[in-house]
Amino acid sequence: MSLPSSRRLLFGAGAVVAVAAAAPLLIANPYASRLAQLLFLNIVLASAWNLVGGFAGQISFGNSSLFGVGAYATSMLWLAGIHPFLTMPVAALLAAIFGVAWGWPCLRLRGPYFAIATIGVAEATRIVANHVEAAGGASGLTLPLEQDLGPVLLYALGGVLAFTAVLLSAAVRRSRLGLGLIALREDARAAAASGVDVSRQQVTVFALAAALTGLGGAYYALFTLYVVPEKVFGFDLSISLVLMVLVGGIGTVIGPVLGAAIYLFLEQFVLASLADIHLAAFGALLIFIVLLEPRGVAPRLAQLIGLIRRRRG
Amino acid sequence: MNRPRPGNALLEAQGVTRRFGGLTAVRDVHLTLQEGEVLGLIGPNGAGKTTLFNLLSGQLHPDSGRVRMLGREIQRLPPHRTCRLGLARTFQVPRPFLAMTVFESVLVGAQFGRRVVGTSPRETARECLALSHLDSRRDVPVHSLNLAERKRLDLARALATRPRVLLVDEVAAGLNPSEVGETVGILREVHASGIGIVYVEHVMEAVMDISDRVQVLDQGATIAVGTPQEVTRNPAVVEAYLGRAATRDG
Repeated sequence: MSLPSSRRLLFGAGAVVAVAAAAPLLIANPYASRLAQLLFLNIVLASAWNLVGGFAGQISFGNSSLFGVGAYATSMLWLAGIHPFLTMPVAALLAAIFGVAWGWPCLRLRGPYFAIATIGVAEATRIVANHVEAAGGASGLTLPLEQDLGPVLLYALGGVLAFTAVLLSAAVRRSRLGLGLIALREDARAAAASGVDVSRQQVTVFALAAALTGLGGAYYALFTLYVVPEKVFGFDLSISLVLMVLVGGIGTVIGPVLGAAIYLFLEQFVLASLADIHLAAFGALLIFIVLLEPRGVAPRLAQLIGLIRRRRG
Repeated sequence: MNRPRPGNALLEAQGVTRRFGGLTAVRDVHLTLQEGEVLGLIGPNGAGKTTLFNLLSGQLHPDSGRVRMLGREIQRLPPHRTCRLGLARTFQVPRPFLAMTVFESVLVGAQFGRRVVGTSPRETARECLALSHLDSRRDVPVHSLNLAERKRLDLARALATRPRVLLVDEVAAGLNPSEVGETVGILREVHASGIGIVYVEHVMEAVMDISDRVQVLDQGATIAVGTPQEVTRNPAVVEAYLGRAATRDG
């Protein structure tokens, strides 16, 4: 959606007010509170995925490796007695370092080759994590329940993280970096011939996305109080991010937000009743989207808003 | 920093060779572009023109030989580095950024190209659009442009990187005569602004019209260099284009 900047500002301010106004309602009920936390988490992770997948056009199936690093960093530091808030910058930094370590070589590949490489990295990370005894091995880590931050703080933290992710995404989209990313997504050779350092641009945005994903992992650890390799390094997680962004609208700022909400709704209310075949159901959903609405919900929403405005005007 | 030293050509290739497996696509080619010059580069299909272009602009690296720009060796640099030093190119088949508007595409060149003190990228992009006769199309999505416009867009994007040398690859191919005339007019203006041009072209009217000198390639090697008049009278050139019988008869 390309709204004029005054409207964007209004839109953002409205969202802040709405999130703040909804807080008392959601925090009162433990289930609603958890839903809000998951929604914030999904927005952070989907926006981060979209920075690389949407803007640079590099589809990653390996973001769980970054998420897991963030989740474990916060968990281990918290267990070592460091305040959770202080662990979060460390989680972001470690995820960014890990992301650059494997993103730098893998991003030399493009398209399906990059996607396959990311699967390899994430699966390797998961297997290694299962065998690191210092991090609890396959049984994971349980965090001190008695030190739980509480629903109010977790809601506020999630809200701040989600807004940060969306603002970062909007800032990248409008920046020189964003212009270079879209150029290299559309035609890497022509971008290079126009002076774009393709490798550097991709690694830069990948580091940003990795830091954000690591923050998401840290937040997850803080509200679930339990991290285990099969979950935080799991392939399901990586796939869910791809789905969210494709449903919402790849390459847009608002798409990952819409996708995060739609995904959460489907997961909680529709697919919960299909527990055994929920992956198959997601597969069917993915095929449905790619065939019928490859650009996701966001462009349709923009059309709808335009239509309403024209009717009025 | 990159001040031209006396005796240094704007762009200079020395004994450049590039092989693909058993095929020598470019063999021991020397090329010199002086300040403010238009050098035409012609030859039959498969003569190695586009390979030579890719070698000059960093898309390919030569097996042997050197490429110098203002005395600095550039044959090992990647394309974005040669671009930032002031060597821009267009592509034989235009390579547009389809998801962008015309203005955004040109802004890419202006944002990432050679840095020039005291110019704003948006201002540069606007100037290059005007020069390429695309200012009326600036907010149009690139995918709605026709071939002639896409070729001019490639040109505008290259110019927005503020090059010292512009490599133009068949910008007139596939255009109708009036579009060819328009494009040659734009190149003339580019030339007048002091940018050196190496111009690969099959459309002879275009390349002979604008070039100060013409270099002819055949089977990867240089067979003639000279003014357009000299080159067209050169028997070796006529033979390369038309075959031996034509030389005997004419």
